[in-house]
Amino acid sequence: MSAIAVSRFLLSDLYRSQRAVVPIIIQAAILAILFGGDPGPLPAPWAASALALYPIAAWLGIVVANTEDPIQRHVTVVAAGGVGRVVGGILTLALAGDVLLSLISVVWPMVATHYPHPPSVVALGLGGHLVCAVTGTAVGLLCARPVVGKVGWSLLAAGTVVVVTGTQSHVPPVGTVVRALTSGGPPGSGAVVGTGLVIAAVLAVLAAGVSAAVALRSG
Amino acid sequence: MRLEGVRKRYGRRSPEVLAGIDLDLEPGRPVVLRGGNGSGKSTLLRIAAGASSPSAGRVVGRPRVVGYVPDRFPAQLRMPVGAYLRHLAAIHGAGPDAVREATELLAEMSFSAGVGTPMLQLSKGNAQKVGLAQALTCGAGLVVLDEPWSGLDAESSPLLSARLDAVAAAGTTVLVADHTAHGPRLAGATVLRVEAGTVRPEEAPPPVDEVTVIELAGDGDPRSAVRSLPPGSESRVVPGPGPASWRLRLRVSSADGDAVLAAAIARGATVLSVRREAVAVPAPPRRRVEARP
Repeated sequence: MSAIAVSRFLLSDLYRSQRAVVPIIIQAAILAILFGGDPGPLPAPWAASALALYPIAAWLGIVVANTEDPIQRHVTVVAAGGVGRVVGGILTLALAGDVLLSLISVVWPMVATHYPHPPSVVALGLGGHLVCAVTGTAVGLLCARPVVGKVGWSLLAAGTVVVVTGTQSHVPPVGTVVRALTSGGPPGSGAVVGTGLVIAAVLAVLAAGVSAAVALRSG
Repeated sequence: MRLEGVRKRYGRRSPEVLAGIDLDLEPGRPVVLRGGNGSGKSTLLRIAAGASSPSAGRVVGRPRVVGYVPDRFPAQLRMPVGAYLRHLAAIHGAGPDAVREATELLAEMSFSAGVGTPMLQLSKGNAQKVGLAQALTCGAGLVVLDEPWSGLDAESSPLLSARLDAVAAAGTTVLVADHTAHGPRLAGATVLRVEAGTVRPEEAPPPVDEVTVIELAGDGDPRSAVRSLPPGSESRVVPGPGPASWRLRLRVSSADGDAVLAAAIARGATVLSVRREAVAVPAPPRRRVEARP
């Protein structure tokens, strides 16, 4: 319960600070460019929107994790009865953002283009976006406070990790999933996306654990 | 609740901030930590509250709900005060009663901003009051306050002391760092000194006594409002704004304050203000000045 209360608290302040608006607008602009003309049959066009979502989700993760000043965060950690619940709240809110942006990215070409989209293709697209977004959240949590203190270093670190891991088509989970989408979802793509989802979820939980441990050690 | 052999260092090569602290905390017996800047008080409080983990040692029996106020309450959030108190109550797991109580406590402490003011526009003192309001109304079993009196104005300080006395009397464990004279005067307080990462009992707790300063107003003869005063009291009458009105300032020992106040109210006097003032003991012989009513 406390983790959800923390999520709502952070969302309430993010809504007022509007710091999450820029990454969301950039993703929307990318979708408008990608799916504006004739992107070609699905799921191949989703490879680009999923890959774009990777750094955007990392950015959002940093924004959510950095909502509170470090000292104010101590107050919230004590109120919640443990750093785990606060990091859990941060992770919950970031994952909610991931799901929202993935849904928008998947639905956009289904509405804007006339290409067929059977359920299996949609599932592949949605899974692919979630893999990239959740991995991005993990990167964001690892590059935000309290692990990386200054926001400039956070963006530099996250950018480097995203470029290195996102552009190698053999590196799971983002590289392999994007390759499966680019090649039009050949047989076995479902397994690639499924494995990717598991890896992404594990990475996100590990990143949250590191964030919590660093918070307690340095607090 | 107990701290056992608590040590803390921030990094392998940095010096130890806390070098093995054993501390017993009991409900109703506030512990007041004193010590110079950088002596490790704040670190000790964060570990006791659960915002930080010790490098060695452990904290046993921490109550489930804890209220904490850091030494400077940072107000960087954009949400209004009311929203912050609602969210913090939810995070504490406290109900809507806690929000109402927190708002009342703010009003009592003469909080000069509104509940609609964004947190980041608050002055240091007002932010401190919001911090105290969330910590003291969440139904905490442990309250940890870092220099809570330092940012408060003269009117709010005795209110906070009274509130902490009430909270402690209700069975809450209280741990406070303080360098003012207020902390050691909490009822039943144990004063400890933090030095070089260890705690020891404070050798000579500063002897203090208190007087209650009461300001009254009324019409007619001030003697009809205050018939008699306990020995050792001081009084001073000045004319009020109206033709037959007066203002009266009384200094009575805190033990007698309530009785004098109740009698004056019963006889129709208006209470302008009541506050506590510290007096060093032994008090110098008090001179009677001006007319006694």
